[in-house]
Amino acid sequence: MPEVPQIPQSDRHRVLVERLAADLKPVRPLWSVRVRLALWLLLEALVLSWVALHTSNHFWLKLRTPAYALEVILFAAAGILAGVLALRAAIPGRRLRQGEIALCVGLVVVGIALLMGQPTRTAYPLSQFIQIGLKCANHTCRFAALPLAALWWTVWRGAPLRGGLTGLFIGAAAMLFSFAVMRIGCPIDERLHLITWHLLPAFIVIALSALAGTAWLRFRPRAFG
Amino acid sequence: MHKVDDAVRAERSRLRAHLMERLQQGDGDACRALLNDIGPAVMQFLRNRVANPGEVEDVYQDVFMAVYQARHTYEPGRPLEPWLFAIARNVAVDHARRHWARASWEDLTADPPERATNDSLAPEPDLDGALAKLPPAQREAFSMLKLEGMSLEIAAARAGVSIGALKVRAHRAYQALRRIIGGSA
Repeated sequence: MPEVPQIPQSDRHRVLVERLAADLKPVRPLWSVRVRLALWLLLEALVLSWVALHTSNHFWLKLRTPAYALEVILFAAAGILAGVLALRAAIPGRRLRQGEIALCVGLVVVGIALLMGQPTRTAYPLSQFIQIGLKCANHTCRFAALPLAALWWTVWRGAPLRGGLTGLFIGAAAMLFSFAVMRIGCPIDERLHLITWHLLPAFIVIALSALAGTAWLRFRPRAFG
Repeated sequence: MHKVDDAVRAERSRLRAHLMERLQQGDGDACRALLNDIGPAVMQFLRNRVANPGEVEDVYQDVFMAVYQARHTYEPGRPLEPWLFAIARNVAVDHARRHWARASWEDLTADPPERATNDSLAPEPDLDGALAKLPPAQREAFSMLKLEGMSLEIAAARAGVSIGALKVRAHRAYQALRRIIGGSA
């Protein structure tokens, strides 16, 4: 192998170590993933409670229908799992197990399959479809805004090494949970409405979040690599 | 290369984790002790990852800076090594990306190479040159398994991948080396 200087004994190493040691200041370690997840879930619980208290949807009755209950649970679970993955992705060396990612995707796929089982009605005018739908899309994003910002903030404090993936998980966590919240809040169970005005905005925000993660990693300080 | 006993390795890992916790609290002596201790391991790691030996020193410095800046993300009580080598790997990959981008640009703008005048003299296989042509992950897998003689378990842990994935990388490295050396001989 070519000659390579033995850095740990070199002057350059010593100077570097001395400089870092001299500038050293105490830091507060990040809270553990469990603690941060618990706080995030508390925030989501507050959002869910507010929606449950202010909706005209008779969701308690609907929850007796297994498909509806399962759909809500699956999307909420996928959101929580994505949140765990996002928080872990912010810590170097923490593994993102492929099984967990596959499980998250699987929950969403089964949730969508259940969603496809909802009836389709086209007996109302397009203007009404759009007018009501825009409100739902707006609510889906608004209910996700605070949890999304909270997750971005907590991940920002860490050192994610894969920005796109981390952004994707952050977006998925907030938007999938928001989708579940909106299934509680929105009285419309019509398939086209749910796909167009609930699911599509969620996926758009997830994609934007992934792009934001990539951009963030590109423009952050060089020393992080 | 010496085979380090598992118990010694575990004890050393505990000591490093303890030093890192003290470093987070602002202890300069712990900082010196830890950086001096991890230096050789980081250097060895980078030698397997950085194609140009002349740039190892710069990447080494970048790794230390990144470790320093990300020190609050280390979770006390957990082993230090996965955290450390994830940062080192990331810095090395980023460096490799810049290196290949620069190399591609230089290839495009360079003058065409002169044709060899004497084809009958077959050069000795250049392993270093061939290794430098491999993607970083394959080069690392080959170096750890064949040059350093690490076990599959340790090498996989060092690379942060499963044993199966490491085997695939090593296999691809063998094929690529055979192709490169066979093509150049």
